[in-house]
Amino acid sequence: MMAEKKHMALALCSGCGIGAALDTDKLTAAATGFAGNLPCMQHEALCSESGLDVLHRFTKEHEVDHLAIAACSPRVKSEEFSLTGIYVERINLREQVAWVMEPGEEDTQMCAEDQTRMALARLHSISEIRPYVPDHVNRDILVVGGGIAGLTAAREGAEAGYTIHLVEKRKIPGGYAGRLYKLSPEGAGRNTLSEPDIQELVREVQENPNINLHLETTIQSISGEPGNFTVRLQHEKEQTIGVGAVVVSTGWKPYDTNRLGHLGYGASRVKTLEEFEQYVRTDAVPGRVLFILCAGSRDKEHLPYCSSYCCSASLKQALYVREKNPDAEVYIVYRDIRTVGFQEEFYKMVQADDAILMTKGSVESVREEHGEVRVVVKDSLIANEVTIAADMVVLATGMVPNSTIDLQLQYRQGSGLPEIEYDFSDSHFICFPYETRRTGIYAAGTVRAPMDIEQSREDGAGAMMKAIQSVESVKRGEAVHPRSGDMTFPELFMERCTDCKRCTEECPFGMYDENEKGTPLPNPARCRRCGICVGSCPERVIGFADYDINSISAMIKAVDVPDEFEEKPRILLFICENDAYPALDAAGVSRLRISPFVRVIPVRCLGSINKVWISDALAHGYDGVLQIGCKPGDDYQCHFIHGSELTKKRGENLQETLETMMLEPERIRTQFVEITEHHAIVSIINAYVEELEAIGPNPFKSM
Amino acid sequence: MELIKPDIAFKRELSRLSGSQLNQCMQCGNCSAVCSLAPAERPFPRKEMIWSAWGIREKLMGNVDVWLCHQCGDCSTSCPRDVKPADVIAAVRQQTYLHYARPHWMGKLLSDPAWLPVAIALPVVVIVVILMLAGTFRIPEGPVDYSAFFPHGWLNGSISVITLFFYGLAFRGLRKFWQDMQQQFPAETGQKRGLSLVMVLGEVLSHSSFSGCEGKPVRKIAHMMLFFGFGLLILTTAYAIYATISHHYPLTLNNPFKMMANLASLMIFTGLGIMVSQRLLNRRVFGRSGYSDWLLLASIGLLTLSGLVVELARFGNWTLAYHLYFFHLVCVWFVIIYLPYSKMGHIFFRTTALIYARRIGRK
Amino acid sequence: MNSTTLVIGGGISGITAAAELADAGRQVVLIEKEPYLGGHVAGFHNYFPKLCPPSCGLEINYQRIRSNPRISYYTGARVTAIEGGYGHYEVTITLEPRLINNRCTSCGKCAGVCPEEPKAAYIPGGLAFPMKYTIQADLCKKEACGKCLEVCPYDAIQLDACAATVEIEVGKIIIATGWSLYDAGRLEHYHYQQEQDVVTNLEFEHLLAATTRENRQLTRPSDGKVPARIAFIQCAGSRDVNHLPYCSAVCCGVSIKHALTLAEAYPDIATEIFYIDIRLPGRNEKLLERAKATGRIKFTKGKVGRIIHHNNRSGLTLEVEDVMAGGKRYDAFDMVVLAMGMTPNHIDKDLAVNMYGFYLEGQPSGIITASSCKRPMDVSSSVKDATAAALKTMRR
Repeated sequence: MMAEKKHMALALCSGCGIGAALDTDKLTAAATGFAGNLPCMQHEALCSESGLDVLHRFTKEHEVDHLAIAACSPRVKSEEFSLTGIYVERINLREQVAWVMEPGEEDTQMCAEDQTRMALARLHSISEIRPYVPDHVNRDILVVGGGIAGLTAAREGAEAGYTIHLVEKRKIPGGYAGRLYKLSPEGAGRNTLSEPDIQELVREVQENPNINLHLETTIQSISGEPGNFTVRLQHEKEQTIGVGAVVVSTGWKPYDTNRLGHLGYGASRVKTLEEFEQYVRTDAVPGRVLFILCAGSRDKEHLPYCSSYCCSASLKQALYVREKNPDAEVYIVYRDIRTVGFQEEFYKMVQADDAILMTKGSVESVREEHGEVRVVVKDSLIANEVTIAADMVVLATGMVPNSTIDLQLQYRQGSGLPEIEYDFSDSHFICFPYETRRTGIYAAGTVRAPMDIEQSREDGAGAMMKAIQSVESVKRGEAVHPRSGDMTFPELFMERCTDCKRCTEECPFGMYDENEKGTPLPNPARCRRCGICVGSCPERVIGFADYDINSISAMIKAVDVPDEFEEKPRILLFICENDAYPALDAAGVSRLRISPFVRVIPVRCLGSINKVWISDALAHGYDGVLQIGCKPGDDYQCHFIHGSELTKKRGENLQETLETMMLEPERIRTQFVEITEHHAIVSIINAYVEELEAIGPNPFKSM
Repeated sequence: MELIKPDIAFKRELSRLSGSQLNQCMQCGNCSAVCSLAPAERPFPRKEMIWSAWGIREKLMGNVDVWLCHQCGDCSTSCPRDVKPADVIAAVRQQTYLHYARPHWMGKLLSDPAWLPVAIALPVVVIVVILMLAGTFRIPEGPVDYSAFFPHGWLNGSISVITLFFYGLAFRGLRKFWQDMQQQFPAETGQKRGLSLVMVLGEVLSHSSFSGCEGKPVRKIAHMMLFFGFGLLILTTAYAIYATISHHYPLTLNNPFKMMANLASLMIFTGLGIMVSQRLLNRRVFGRSGYSDWLLLASIGLLTLSGLVVELARFGNWTLAYHLYFFHLVCVWFVIIYLPYSKMGHIFFRTTALIYARRIGRK
Repeated sequence: MNSTTLVIGGGISGITAAAELADAGRQVVLIEKEPYLGGHVAGFHNYFPKLCPPSCGLEINYQRIRSNPRISYYTGARVTAIEGGYGHYEVTITLEPRLINNRCTSCGKCAGVCPEEPKAAYIPGGLAFPMKYTIQADLCKKEACGKCLEVCPYDAIQLDACAATVEIEVGKIIIATGWSLYDAGRLEHYHYQQEQDVVTNLEFEHLLAATTRENRQLTRPSDGKVPARIAFIQCAGSRDVNHLPYCSAVCCGVSIKHALTLAEAYPDIATEIFYIDIRLPGRNEKLLERAKATGRIKFTKGKVGRIIHHNNRSGLTLEVEDVMAGGKRYDAFDMVVLAMGMTPNHIDKDLAVNMYGFYLEGQPSGIITASSCKRPMDVSSSVKDATAAALKTMRR
């Protein structure tokens, strides 16, 4: 794969206890023994001014283009050790060898030598990184949905100098917020309901020359990848536009009222918040209006979540009642009043009206009789069970996100955005809320999570930022979150592909489309570079320039495995770079002790581990393979959503294979840790080594 | 199942009387938690606050708990919404006098400042009528002798009859109050009534409930001054009535009862002084004092003051002595005859409620 | 027009704003007043609702900062002056000396010999960023001791270092100064200052974080025993006209998270949460359901009136009305956690604030406020708002 011969070299630092723990001359000898004419250098503080000076002269002298630096973790001194024009492989001798193993011991020395050989093997087998930069990158951005989030996204994007296509299926933009009678106050110190200001935003959007407003328009299809999406729009006739990224802000609809019969819905005197919002504009408000909060929300039988806007919306409508009919009384039955932040002030302000009466309680029944509605409330603050008579009941119904199927994504994995929970298209990442599992497509507003107008505005702007960022990253040939800046991308050796569809099914981001035969059609700009496809491919045809089947296999085989009579087991540790690797570093910082029998290979994600690496390892004589990654499950911490989950599943299959090979199933183990669990990771490793010592050597060792 | 009938007018009246934005209560329960007098079961005043907010009169009128409150203000000072539960409870008590007033108009007469002229006119007219009947409606000649103006027999007789008449009526209100308490706080395992009475008397005399309120010894002292000062004056009055019968009236200055009465006046002035200054200086704790509160303080103050002045007028043979005496009698009327209908009614209502509370073991 | 953006505040919001801008191709300078990035969240045990560690997301962001040449950052740095205006702000930054220079390799020798307790030379754990030691000037005896000077092989210790100033010109400024906890000492009825076992939610968070970091059990401060009963007092000084009248939006989630963390890790600790309203809006309701499903966390509606302070008795008695059950309780707990609210942090420049001192959105042109210095909010909302703030600086 390499056009020219590589100029490799090794720079070794003996500072920070490395020199005290290891015989560095022996280590250099082992390296040259492995890689032949390998220029090597040593320094007692490689990162110091003098060390770097020596290093720079060294690399220049030997025209080094691939350099192994045996020193500290790649997570530190990255600036010092990033050398222009040189591919650097860091060998973590400090945190993961010298600081965690007995200094001066033979086993520690062997570990360091193996890790060095592994790095050299990798450097030897990787190919040159050429980023994926399409010839033409479209910078325009599509916003789907013209509600408050979409309008804000469009305006902010246009203000930043991007051309925006805003598509709205209705005749009038503004969405739900545009149909409101009045708005509740935002922020502190404002004491009145205000007239809706959304028309101002609509006008700004209409007048902005950077925004193309497509009203009464539906999407026929969205195909392509970030930087090059092709969107077919249908208005009166079909129109095709090209965009670089998409913001989805298709909003929400009220919960299905047909399911609220138990709260009296269907009777003429029972309305929903949405209905009452329109009702007050035209009709006479009766003398007693009762609001039932959490109607069909926070309820396992209905919407299990809280829609977060209904409390303040109901309080606002209570004021409508009083404005429209000054003699009216309002009753509010709540579970918890959730006026968070400065909304607390609004709650107090509504309560300043003494004809608005509130009680906590749970509604037992709503019945229309004697020309009024009788609401039975249990566990109220007034008494255990009370009946309240009203002339009208308003049900505070929750938000249901609109389906994103209308996006008509031409993706092999489906036409909508993958939904994580309760049909919301959210990332489920606390630190990265805008991520969806479709690169370049970002969800904003209530389609993503229940929220109010203020939050929707922030959301619109934030999602637009991500969209812009995705376009800019494509232009630079870089990955977006979480491997921002990564310039590699998966390359497929199609001749050997058997159209098995594993990669197209397992990619968490829907990077692969398929042709009718099932052959994968990669869209590299959609890729987040997790390598799960590398792990999924049984034919081993997928690889990244610096992370492919061969390079990892070469690392595995570079380890010098002693034979069974030496009683020195070897355990291969595949460790996820994202959380487990930093945790292991932290164990080093705390100077915990780990077994010197493990050999560490960092992986992009546990999901990227190919079965062949495991069989290579067992065939090479390792006694066991331990994979440590991020927590799977509903509250996953896997940066690539289901990498850990997949590994768990694949691990179960692998163990069956082991049994057919007459190997103990314990020889493969998958464990999960959190980034802060450096004590746990050490116990896991040491316990596994002990367990394998008890089981005895791998029978394949001497073969 | 209870059908709730919110009475917004009643709620607004409580709000007006207490000066509290009581609707802004968020039912956190802090008030009940900090109250050192609230019973463990169904403590107050949080539940009274929601009943007030919903204007549920029937839950507040026959309510024992509002009488357990001694207005220390702990709940109000620590209230996170500043809705002054102590003042709301005080307003409920005030509404209670009105609610159980028999005849009802007597309650109205003393709770609304608009009716003050009538409240004053009533004793004036009645006393004039009695004087006319006695044939002494004129300023007597010679050294000041009040019995020449208002013969002792007429005085003692007429005042006693009128007092008994109104107290008799008021008693019917108290009975209804008792019945309502029974309905709202049904007795489960109760103590004997007699013992409850003794307990309550003990409490009243020792002012032990005041000690329950944390860190407000000043209030206890003030109330004790007033309470015992008033008691001594009643005692003096009883002795004076006896003296009129045994014909050694008027009392001389060195008569021990006279000395006691003067001491009592001093006690009352001290108590009143503390109360007024506390109300003016420490509004956060003592809340906003309403009309009935000031009316009570004013009538006691004027009664005591006019009593002293009348005494001086007699010794000094002032020409205005009879006018002052007339004024003193009007004050007596305000304090004694109006007692069940004004804030003074707490003597009856609180004692009744406390007896009921101890009877059902509520403490 | 200078195209560099300054981000003031290196907590989760500032880091996010900086990284998002740099990933979109902009030049960014990030400054943080503490010696390390990460702000409050770097010291947190976990986030709700997923109960995942904050370091996980921080690590991704640190990686972005490490690998993106468009971001530069200063720690131990404060803005001391902002002059100029839109497009050309001249900012003076004062750098507090960390007494250890950039040569530090984090080998840890200085902390090893530091005789002070707590140690003057420190690093807050193995995931700190930047991975360099700091000497706390107020704890260090400087040249009088000088032990670290002797052992440092890299000439990294500079005990005589003074504050330095840096002047930079930027086009726009994002203010993400975050929040501080309300002063618990002002809640006299909870005896925070007298009782060691009455702690704030932030202190409890740090206690939990220490259990993972030091691989040990949770113990209470007074006697080092594992507490058997822990009470959480919600709205401690929040929604209270005598203190913070607003709701801080996160404290319910935080306490439920704490109780749930305990329920899952310590089967013997009983917890009870005293609340006014449980405010866990949106999908976080799931956390509440999960907490209730453990069957080991008691939820009681009722604001705790006071903690009774016994001069020479251990155990903390809470006075509270169980509002729904309608009874008053005097219950003893081994430890009490006060769910305290947020107050905004400010910079040394007069900017428009609301009645509670939080920064308003409307500021001089080119100055954008973000996240919890604007209103109380949780981490996810802060990240969301910081991303939105990043875009606002890109306006032409």
